[in-house]
This record gives sequence, structure tokens and C-alpha cells, in this order.
Amino acid sequence: MNHLFLVTDVLQQFSTKGEKLIQGLKFSLVGFLVVFLALAILAIFIKIVDKIFVAKKAKKNAAETDKKESEASAPAEHVSIKKEGTPLPDTESEGELSLVNVDDETAAVIMAIVADRSGIPLNRLEFKSIRLLEDK
Amino acid sequence: MNIGEVLLNLWESSGLYALFGADGWKNLIMILVSFVFLYLAIKKKFEPLLLVPIAFGILLANLPGSQIMTDTVGLTDTTVSTAAAEAAGAHWYESGVLRLLYTGVKSSIFPCLIFLGIGAMTDFGPLLSNPVSLLLGSAAQLGIYIAFLLAIAFGFTGPEAASIGIIGGADGPTSIFVTTMLAPNLLAPIALAAYSYMALIPIIQPPIMKALTTEKERKVKMTQLKKVSKTEKIIFPIFVLVVSALILPDVIPLLGMLMLGNLFKECGVTDRLSDTAQNALTNIVTIMLGLCVGATANGKDFLTVKTIEIVILGLVAFIFSTVGGVLFGKLLYALTKGKINPLIGSAGVSAVPMAARVSQKVGSQYDPTNFLLMHAMGPNVAGVIGSAVAAGFLLSLFG
Repeated sequence: MNHLFLVTDVLQQFSTKGEKLIQGLKFSLVGFLVVFLALAILAIFIKIVDKIFVAKKAKKNAAETDKKESEASAPAEHVSIKKEGTPLPDTESEGELSLVNVDDETAAVIMAIVADRSGIPLNRLEFKSIRLLEDK
Repeated sequence: MNIGEVLLNLWESSGLYALFGADGWKNLIMILVSFVFLYLAIKKKFEPLLLVPIAFGILLANLPGSQIMTDTVGLTDTTVSTAAAEAAGAHWYESGVLRLLYTGVKSSIFPCLIFLGIGAMTDFGPLLSNPVSLLLGSAAQLGIYIAFLLAIAFGFTGPEAASIGIIGGADGPTSIFVTTMLAPNLLAPIALAAYSYMALIPIIQPPIMKALTTEKERKVKMTQLKKVSKTEKIIFPIFVLVVSALILPDVIPLLGMLMLGNLFKECGVTDRLSDTAQNALTNIVTIMLGLCVGATANGKDFLTVKTIEIVILGLVAFIFSTVGGVLFGKLLYALTKGKINPLIGSAGVSAVPMAARVSQKVGSQYDPTNFLLMHAMGPNVAGVIGSAVAAGFLLSLFG
């Protein structure tokens, strides 16, 4: 490889050691600056990419939150974990449940399945409505 | 032939006779140096993966009567005339086994392959999550330019001074790469100095780090690094290569291989290639490179005033690179109001991952619960890029 690489001693044109040293000092300063600037450019690039990714992530998170909120407000079957207050005793329930084209027995089975699958006891779940969806 | 002549012939053909003959003492000194290196590697565990092959290479090349680096046709030895040797019926395969392997050093194949392996082993995550590390990596190249200036003062030519200066990058492959192009006549002492000092980093750096920092600074605990996405890790090596190539095309072979190795690691679809580059390939090339570098240190050619000057300048380069990194770390400590531990600055000298381990070790001496390793890996890998860029600058200057 060194046979193809033509080496030029740019310091050779200076006759005294003092001149060579001064020129060498100039080269050193430029060289140090080049390395610093090259790495600074990379640092700025990383910052920019990071900002893009953070903004993208924030946008994605916001979209997911909106989606969840819209699902929560839908009139279809709605289940939420009762967070406020103390849980009711195991044998008790309270509040109103709207049933649309669903009989009491089916609603009870659905609520039992949801409690079983989610691992959350019935007295901590809140059902707002259970509706039979029409086949399309 | 009487018994006396037989015994005399036996004595004159023995290794002991050669060792105590003219210049034999130089080989003896180098053999002792190899023993010291082996002791440091095996007993003190100073980078044994590097130091054991280097030390053994020195031993092999200096044993009396050793033909291991014989160059029959001038493969890499410029003092041998290829045309004359071939006319005399010599063949390349009659050269010493390490001379044949040495062509891999001289052609820069080994340094580039080592960079491929380093790339595959490198996690740029700490650097990506703390981009200021890059600036520490650039500050720790100070020793390159100090040694360059001192080498000019010592009377070396510009290209020779540049090759000596690059020792301060604490990067063996980069030193070999630059020296083969700018000053091939100095390859042996420069490669040996670069690799030896890299192995001796645990001895060289701590006193400087302690001298330049206060106990309060050494105890700084840095905040946890944030997580970096896979996409960022994939984009980074490609971008670094393109930007560096646009600024300094001479660094393409080194940085190209480094970033290819890193892309193997990060892209997630070339696990087998990444594994080979990280383990099998790097191990094989390290054995060959270490042995060859060591074997270049034949006492007869090696023990000269120039070599001693290079060894001294190499040490100065390492010291000033460490100083540059630590001082810039102190500046960042002040600017960030104590959020950055200046000890991670010394890791900017490259020498992955030895220098980062030294930062961790010194930091934990003052607070055993302080874990600086991952923080130091940022400047450490930035140092690899920094020394490659510095090499590109010197190559463009003297090329």
C-alpha cells in the first residue's frame, strides 16, 4: 500500500528547525481543530436525530392515548377497574348496568368470564353497558 | 579432526556463541524485555491477549539463529533486492513464517480486519446517549500533536513525526496504518511502542488522573444513561462513515471497516457475521498481528537511538493524550456544575476497552459504589473515531 502512497514532506521546504517547529505548531493546531470539529458535527447530528426520535415517540404516545380515550367513551361494552373508594364485599354489587339485547343470565356469564380472565374480582370491576352487536 | 575441533565447532554453531558474539548482547536485551512483558501479561494481567503474542514474537525473533523473520525475496524488507533474489533462485515461500505473516501488517490488512472486529464489539450506545463524549474523545488526541512537535524537534522528518505522533491516539491498528504509509522504516518501533503502551495503560494513566483531579471530582456519580433506539444505532455508523469520508477520504479503509463491523452488530440480520468478526476473526488476526509486531523487534536492528527516541516520544504522547482528556473532563465538570466525572476524560485516548476500565477502576477506588464504566465507554469509542480522523488529517497533510 505504501508503494502507491506518495509521501511528501511539507516541512522540508523550511530550512531551520525553528521554522519547521513553527509550521509544525500550525499544523498541530489545525489538526486538533479538524478532529474537534469533525466530532462536534457528529455530536450535533446525534442531538438532532435524538430530538427527531423523541418528537416521533411523543407523537406516537399521544396518538395511543387518544385512541384509548376514544375507546373508553364508546357506547359498546365497557369495563373499567374500580379505583376509587374501598372495594365492595365479595357478595355485593352496586350501580347501574345498561343491557342492550342481552338477558340477565348472559350478562352475568359475561361479567364472570371478564373477572376470571382479567384476574380482577367482580367487586372491583365496574360494568357500564353490555350490548349485543348485530351481525353485518 | 580432533576432539578439540569438534567441540569448538559445536560451540561456534551453538546459540550461546551467537548470543555472546558481536551484537548478540542486543538480542539478549530484547529476550529479557520479552520476559518482562510475559511477566506483566501473565502475572500482572496487563492486557495479556495483546502482550503475550507480542512478547513471544520478540522472543522468537531474538533467539540466536532464529530464521523466523528471514526475507528471501524482499517481501517487506526493502534492503533485499527482489530481482536479484529471484534471479538467484530464491522463492517467497522460503522466507521465515512470521515474515510471510508480516505482509498482512505491511499491507494494512491486519489493522483493517482488527478494526472490523473492534466495530463488531463496540456499543455506540453510551456515546449516542451522551454526545458530549465525542468532545472528550477529541480532546484526548492532544498527545498526537505534542509528540508530533517533539519529534520534529528531535530531528525526525515530517512524515516520520506524524507516524510517531499517532502513537498518542492509543490505537495500534491506526498507528500501523499511518506508519506503513508515511514512514515504513519506523514501523517496528512505532508498532511495538503503540501496542506496549496500550497494554501498559493501567500503569500509565492512574497517576496522571489522580494528579489532575480532586477527590471531590473523582467521587462524582453520573446520572444513568438514557436508552438509545435500535434505529439510531443503525443510522450512526453509516452517517459517521459518510461524514468522515467527505471530510477526510484517507480514513475510509479504517473507519469503513470499523463501521461495517458495527453495522453487523446493530442491524440484527447478520448475527453470524458479527459473531465471527467479534470472536474468531479478531482472535486469529490478534495472534498474527501480535506475533508479527513483536517479531519486528530484532535487537540488532531495533536497539538504536531512534528507537529509544520513539519509545520516549510514544510515552509522552500517551501522557499528554490522557492529560488532554482529563483536563477537558474538568472543563465539562465545571460547565455542567459537577455532573460529569473528569475521570471519564482519560478514556478518550481510545484503547478500547482498557482505558474505560481504568476510569472505572480509579473511580471505584474513591467510591466503590460509583460505576463509571458505561459513562467512560462513550469517550472511549469516540477516541477510536477521533484518532482515525487525526490519522486521516496527517495522511492528507503528508500524502
